[in-house]
Amino acid sequence: MGEEMNVVEAIDVTYHYPDGTKALEKVNFRVDEGKIVALLGPNGAGKSTLFLHFNGILRPSSGEIKINGNSVEYSKKGLMKVRQTVGIVFQNPDDQLFAPTVVEDVAFGPMNIGLSKDEVERRVRESLEKVGMLGFEKKPPHHLSGGEKKRVAIAGILAMKPKIMVLDEPTSGLDPKGASQILKILYELNEEGMTIIISTHDVDMVPLYANQIYIISQGAIIKEGTPQKVFEDIETIRGANLRLPRIAHLMEILQKEDKLPFEKPYPLTIGQARKRVLKHFEDLQ
Amino acid sequence: MIENTLDNYAYTNSIKDANVSFKVLFAILTVIVCLVSTSPVIPLTITFLMLFLIIFLAKIPFKFYLKFLSIPFIFGFMTFIFMTVFFGISEPWFNIGIFNLAVYKDGLNLGFLVLARIMGCFSCLGFLVLTTPINEIFFLLERFRIPKIIIEIAMMMYRYIFVFLDESGKMYNSQQTRLGYSSLKNTYRSVALLASNLFIKTWSKGEQLYITMESRCYNGSIKTFEVQKSIDIENLFLLLSFEFLLLLGVYLTRGFKVI
Repeated sequence: MGEEMNVVEAIDVTYHYPDGTKALEKVNFRVDEGKIVALLGPNGAGKSTLFLHFNGILRPSSGEIKINGNSVEYSKKGLMKVRQTVGIVFQNPDDQLFAPTVVEDVAFGPMNIGLSKDEVERRVRESLEKVGMLGFEKKPPHHLSGGEKKRVAIAGILAMKPKIMVLDEPTSGLDPKGASQILKILYELNEEGMTIIISTHDVDMVPLYANQIYIISQGAIIKEGTPQKVFEDIETIRGANLRLPRIAHLMEILQKEDKLPFEKPYPLTIGQARKRVLKHFEDLQ
Repeated sequence: MIENTLDNYAYTNSIKDANVSFKVLFAILTVIVCLVSTSPVIPLTITFLMLFLIIFLAKIPFKFYLKFLSIPFIFGFMTFIFMTVFFGISEPWFNIGIFNLAVYKDGLNLGFLVLARIMGCFSCLGFLVLTTPINEIFFLLERFRIPKIIIEIAMMMYRYIFVFLDESGKMYNSQQTRLGYSSLKNTYRSVALLASNLFIKTWSKGEQLYITMESRCYNGSIKTFEVQKSIDIENLFLLLSFEFLLLLGVYLTRGFKVI
């Protein structure tokens, strides 16, 4: 393919809650195939609301959602199709895991699609293997840790073989190891060609994985671009109740307070910072 | 918490993978034998047999099982006392000396039989509860053609009992942190708040759950995935001959009285 395709596209999406409050205001959001895109925003900015549009749970008051270039059809058949293409992993795994055992829960989606038992079994195995939860099949969800529940929730979506995976705050509430396990899984899925959309307010992690960042504040997209480009605009970031990654903040302080020559753009990850510092020492010698 | 440990044992005991139909049939048939018996001998035999199975075969800790059994025993023992004192129709055996109460022979016999039956039946149910994960029982119910909607509701109730247990535990702690249970009046108020808050949480969790299920193409019925194995002939034969032996015991001891 010569041109990159927008697999998910929101065009001028506005959404009002049933009580009339505006949740989204003319949101434009595009995701290229095979990318990892982060939706960054403070609590209550409308991240989850926007995500629920991507598989047709919510219908925009005005505007349009396109999946793989086609407008979402809100018929029963159309919704089945969209939900097989776009899988959403919700923030709280307890909201998602309802079945008495892990295997039943992971099998829920594929069974709903109407696949044969053999195919369901194969998919359940594959998905559990991908998230490293083989051997937990017969366990009930309340005997799992937070990180394990999250991985099972991801497996439940993987088993439906979506092209696009949407994750609402996938690392919130997890310990560092649990969080990095989740990110590793997402990397691997992305390598295999899955498009991934993540909502988060963890600004330190975002530059590590995201190809593209959108910043949402009070229901509107206020900034978009590569991590470098987005974090250059420090005022906008801080105005949206977010902050720079710690490492970039350190560089900013070193430049402004200690007059060290670490100019913008500030490095966003430890790797970038290391290079910059090494280069500085080389220049000194 | 006892519910929690019960559930834990059901998933971790060493015969959790044994055939479910076999375990259920075994428990139910043995309960029936217990109820049929007119002497306390067989129910007591069953109680000890189950004790043996639960502790040595399923490897449930002895202490836990005793605690588990103490609950029916307390109720059974109270029944026994009342029956001994109030249910006799024949001549009193001896007078206790207070309130003109007397112990009756037939009352004592009947009371002891009831106690034995309670212990026997409860041991059978204990065996089932402690060795069989509940989801397997759901599948069995499905095979018995129990309406699907009932099983689905039961499945979700089972799952969410633990979510709400957790939730109410957290709320309780947070109330206690702010001295919510420092006096009787505060306790009443806090319990009421906890209950109403839990109700609202249930509501919103339900809505959230529906959204997550819809996202996975839910269309009104949960299709179960696992298949159940039936009991093979050999085991069925063993089971039936065991129950027959018990019944034979019931017949042979039919006239047995404690006194």
